Parts: sequence; C-alpha cells; structure tokens
Amino acid sequence: MLCTLSRWMISRAEDTGKKLPRIVERHVRRCGVCGDLARSSASLSSRLRAERSAWLAKVPDFASGLDPEREASMSRARDAVVAAPAKPRRPWLALRPLPVAASLIVLAAAGIVLFRVIPREPAPTAEDRVAARAAFKTLTSAPEGLQGALDGAESSLDRERRILEKSVVSAVDFLQARLNIKIERKETAKSL
Amino acid sequence: MTDHDPIAEKSDEKLAREARAGSRRSFEELACRYKRRLFVYLRPRLGSDEDAEDMVQDTFLKIYRNIDKYDPAYRFSTWLYTSANRLAIDSFRKAAAARDKSADSSGRDIPDPAAGYEVETGATGVWNAARTLGADRYRVLWLRYGEDMTVEEIAAVLGRSRLAVRVLLHRARTSLVGRLDPNEGWSVRTRSGAARQAAGR
Repeated sequence: MLCTLSRWMISRAEDTGKKLPRIVERHVRRCGVCGDLARSSASLSSRLRAERSAWLAKVPDFASGLDPEREASMSRARDAVVAAPAKPRRPWLALRPLPVAASLIVLAAAGIVLFRVIPREPAPTAEDRVAARAAFKTLTSAPEGLQGALDGAESSLDRERRILEKSVVSAVDFLQARLNIKIERKETAKSL
Repeated sequence: MTDHDPIAEKSDEKLAREARAGSRRSFEELACRYKRRLFVYLRPRLGSDEDAEDMVQDTFLKIYRNIDKYDPAYRFSTWLYTSANRLAIDSFRKAAAARDKSADSSGRDIPDPAAGYEVETGATGVWNAARTLGADRYRVLWLRYGEDMTVEEIAAVLGRSRLAVRVLLHRARTSLVGRLDPNEGWSVRTRSGAARQAAGR
C-alpha cells in the first residue's frame, strides 16, 4: 500500500516539481524498488528530453511545404477569407420570424399572468388638495379631538402592557418558587 | 553582414500572430517547425507513415483556415496539438467505420495501426520504447517531455481531466522504466531481487 502511494507521489513530484513528503522520502530510502523508481524517474525525464532531437531526426522526411494540391486549396481558402467582403448581417427577426413571434406571444402571456396590470389612480385634483388641507387644519385646530384620539390609542397600548406585565410577574413568581430565590423589582414601570 | 534568418528566431506565438495578419512566410516557418513533431505525435495512432503525413498536412490546412481564431494568450503548440488531436479522432472514427464495413464484407482481420513502425524506422532508444507502451501513454509522454507542456495543457489538448492525465503519465513512466534495457541501468528491481541484493552485501 505504501509502495503504491509512494510511486504515485514520486510520479506526481515529477509533474509538480515539488519535494517528496518526508514519509515518502523515508520509505524511498528503505524500499529498494521505490528507490530505484525514484532515481529512474528523475533520469528518465532528462533522457526523454535529451533523445527528443534524435527521435525527430529519425522521422522519414516529407515535403517541407504543403503538398501542391493542398497548398492551392489552402491559398484559395485563405484568399477567400481575406478577399470576401463582410456579409451584411441580416436582422435577427428576419432569420426566424415564426419562432420569434411565438416567443414574443409566450412572453407577453407570461407577463400578463405574472403581473396583473392595475390602472393607476388618477392624480389628486386641485379640489382634492384644498379639501385635504382643510381637514388637516380642522384636526390641528381641535386639540381636544386630537388628544381624545391619542388617549384612545394609548389606552389600548396600556392594556397590552398590563397583560405583558402580568405574564412577567407570573413567570417571576414561578421562578422564585422553583429556584427558591427572591427577585425584587427595582423600580416601577415607566408610563407610556 | 550576418547571414542569419530573423524569422527563425521568432517565437511560435509571434509567428502565429503574423500569420493571422496574413504572412504566408510565417505560417510556413511554423509548419516547418512542427511537421516532424506532429508526425511523431500522430504516427502511432494512424495506420501508416503516409496516413500520418496526410494528417499533418490536414492539420496545417485546418490551422491555416482558422488562424483568425488563434488567441495569442495561449501557446501556439497547445492550439495546434488540440486541432491535430481532434482531426485524428475524426479520421480514426471514419477509418474504423470503413474498416468495419470492409471487414463485414470480406471477413479479414484489421491490422494494428501502430504495427510496423519500428521495423520501418529501425528506431531504438527511449522514445521507441515509449511508443510500444500504446498510443495514449506515448502521446502524454510526448506532450510532457517532447513539447514540455504542463499537465493542464495536456489535459486541454486531449480533452481529459487533469487527474486522468496525471494517472496516464504515472502509468506511462512506470511502464517505461520497467521496459528499458537493464544494461543501460534502467531496470526496476523486483522485491525479491532487491532482497537478494541486500543479502549479498
């Protein structure tokens, strides 16, 4: 197992150029087969590179240029690319009118389903503005009425707070009884 | 006055840029630089030297037609080998289909594409040993040591993952070390051999 892993690491080190991990180095020193592989791998790469030119030199020579027929075809291809004026691009709509129309219909239907079109309310007229100003003035000029409305709002909040306070007190009582401790209230609740 | 040719000193990428701009001479220089390299890369996969030469020329033709698509941010060799690889795969598939048809009709065996190369060239040495490992292993070795490509570049050329390339390289190296001539100091000892050697000391 360690041999397999070591050989893989030796091979990998050849590609990454990194040093072998210490555990592998130790193993390579002890294991003859892996040690041989490590040495051979290092010299193999240099030998492959060194013999590259000799290997290429053994290739049977063939025409250095391209073969005349291919060369002519190549010239024609190249000239055609260079000489051909840029084709005017057809508008994309003209290429596939039916799929484009179908897509647009589907998109419009999806839009209608997903977003209901709600007509906007008309902007307030001058008369509406005058009426609104008058109502505001009435409200501010009648402090009793305003105070009454505020008191009403506060009383409901106060009721809510009292309910919460009761719950907290009940929880504290339970904790005192359960844990045998005394919890004191520091100060009275602030009024809203 | 010196007699050297400045075009020979230009990098592949510079030549490719010039070829893209329309320089025929730059392209010919690239073809000259790479024709043998492509040949040795493609030969083990194809049936004969002639097929390999045709494939090299087809690759250059394809490259010339598509030179506008070359991105100088990448190495020219990576692009070239990728194109060659794709062409070779296409050609191999077509040839295999044609052979299937003819084998069905004639009932003859299909010859091994790599067979005969050693006899024809009389080649020896580490690369010839590498060629006997099989087309895939030979190709990764060539790209790694013949073309000095990184694992990532080889993966791009072959259309495989980096891990697959690493595994191929590992197997190719270990097989090659095992196949090289022991007289040249390239043998891998077996466990028993190592033990015997240790006992003899």
